[in-house]
Amino acid sequence: MRTQKWLATALFAGAASAMVSGSSLAGSLNIIIEEVPDYDVVRVLTEKFAAENPGIEVTFDAMPFDAMRDKILTSALASSATYNVIIVDNPWMEEFAKAGFLTPLDDFIAADSGYDFEDFVGPLRDIGVVEGSTYGVPYYNYALGLIVRQDIFDEQGIAVPTTLDDYVDVVKKLTNDDFYGAAMQPQKGYKVMEEWKNWLYATGGELFNADGDITINSPEAVKALEMYIDAFNTSAPEGSVNWGFDEALRAVASGRAATMLSYNWMLPALNAKGGMSGDLAGKFTLNEVPGGKAVLGSWSWSIPANVDDKDEAWKYISWITSKAVAKDRVIAGGAPVRTSIISDPEVWEKGFGEDYYKTLLGILEDAAPLSSGTSAEELIDIVGTELSAAVSGQKSVQQALDDAAKGVERAR
Amino acid sequence: MHLRFRLILPLAAAMTVIMAYPLVFSAWISFHDYRLTRLQDVRFRGVENYAFILSDAPFGRALVNTMTFVAGAVSIELVLGLGLALLLQRLVRFQNFARAVLLAPMFITPIAVGLMFRFLLNSELGVIPYYLATIGVEIAWFDERLALFSLMLIDAWQWTPFMLLMFLAGLEALPKDPFEAARVDGASAWITFWNLTLPLLRPVILVALIIRALDAFKVFEYVWAITRGGPGDATETILFHIYKTGFRFFRLGEAAAMAYVLIGILMFLVIVLYTAMRRR
Repeated sequence: MRTQKWLATALFAGAASAMVSGSSLAGSLNIIIEEVPDYDVVRVLTEKFAAENPGIEVTFDAMPFDAMRDKILTSALASSATYNVIIVDNPWMEEFAKAGFLTPLDDFIAADSGYDFEDFVGPLRDIGVVEGSTYGVPYYNYALGLIVRQDIFDEQGIAVPTTLDDYVDVVKKLTNDDFYGAAMQPQKGYKVMEEWKNWLYATGGELFNADGDITINSPEAVKALEMYIDAFNTSAPEGSVNWGFDEALRAVASGRAATMLSYNWMLPALNAKGGMSGDLAGKFTLNEVPGGKAVLGSWSWSIPANVDDKDEAWKYISWITSKAVAKDRVIAGGAPVRTSIISDPEVWEKGFGEDYYKTLLGILEDAAPLSSGTSAEELIDIVGTELSAAVSGQKSVQQALDDAAKGVERAR
Repeated sequence: MHLRFRLILPLAAAMTVIMAYPLVFSAWISFHDYRLTRLQDVRFRGVENYAFILSDAPFGRALVNTMTFVAGAVSIELVLGLGLALLLQRLVRFQNFARAVLLAPMFITPIAVGLMFRFLLNSELGVIPYYLATIGVEIAWFDERLALFSLMLIDAWQWTPFMLLMFLAGLEALPKDPFEAARVDGASAWITFWNLTLPLLRPVILVALIIRALDAFKVFEYVWAITRGGPGDATETILFHIYKTGFRFFRLGEAAAMAYVLIGILMFLVIVLYTAMRRR
């Protein structure tokens, strides 16, 4: 009788503790991930991981971008993590790492033979490095390129511009009554910041100088914003002051605009037969942004600091980012992050052709993150709001950039 | 302890846990540099958070935007709601049907209304701009001049039915005698409305105004779904600003202080309207 009672208590306690520790139970991986086409590829590939590792049950919690930051934060603040593997957007990396939310991965990487961490494209790899420690491994890139209607450029005998001055001239020249040289994205916040920062690079500007001083209101930045507004007023569709990604893409895909700065992996989608651009499929090319240096976005795989079984989490990250799986992922349409994969003729052939990957490698190698520091997310919003105010004429260029500098100084 | 105190104890305890504790805690937060990414380093800042937001241009702009929005949206709703209520009151046939149709927008989740109008009014994809263009009218609904006004119209679309409901109930409860007397005296429809209907309806109007104004102050969904506060900060409203500061930038100290400033403003508004209501 007594034994029975003891047994019942033990069983109950066991069940209760299993319930409390929830998803951080050994043998199960709970992964938070953004619901984008790259996730579809990862989900399908992961079935293979599950088959190879019957002891580990992988579940994805896929959600739209807007929901992710809060969820990762609450998971990180809890005593035991809800998610054993997370993906981190590049503006959050330093903030989360310095808050102590992430596990340094250096030892895992060093102990993983044949992993070849150096193979990840430099600027992407650097995003995961905070104060000398690696906290994230690249998942996919969203670097920007210049997408153009090659047929129009060929027809008019115009070369695809490589400098900002040329670009502004060309888009002005291509604009007429109901056709526009550039579909731009001056939407407040993230979008305008992401687009304009390419222009800032092209005029030689940056958000901070080498000493970390704010240079958002430097003469280079003023020039970049003046040129941006000039191009917007002369060569972008009317009433597009609030346009973001979707609207600009639609304008280019429907043949109303000749160029756009957008994510490099939009090219295959635009050129897909029977896809969004109808008869225009095949007429688009990807080029480096004017000036050469592009804005880089990327997601990285990370392990939260409050995860119990970190080896298991690393096992998955190591597997999904390994050369072999990365190749399958890219061939299936995922955005590449490893140099060896981007340079692999088999990938060229099964993917989107040699030109695309060569241009992409050029873009990735000379690219820098959109924003950095522990307040990177806020910085994007502050600067992006002021830029939008200047583009819509609510503030002068100098005033907007001065206000942006002031806001960023405070947010630091 | 007396029985009546003991009986109230469970409720008092529940209220303490649900209301008092969060209020006191958020008040405490509002005096600190409290960031979710720096919980190991929470510093006392005194009234610095309050001093900062009261001199902060974006906060001021959000406040002005919100007040403009509330004044504009609630005025439109008041006029439309009253007009529709007067019309509906006279409707003999199909009154219930008309009422049901007119009330429908109120039962849709605001975020869905936001998304709906985002696409209906979108300059590239929208049905409304498309048909307006066929008659030669081109309106950029979400540019820096019109965006806030467009949001007011959306709010009016959704919440005029609420005003309508209130006024219809109010109108039906009005005493019949004064109206009959006015008719016997030969008063015109306008004079009857101005000198009888409006004064008699005043308490209902004020209650409806208070409820709608307080609700409109909380506008968030339309902003979130459509403009995200843009272009520039043309549609940045107070609640959106607080949300951003607290939950996107994790600066809970400042966000809590802003919330308290908002509570102060709302209290003031309620007192003013309430006094107006009691003065007869």
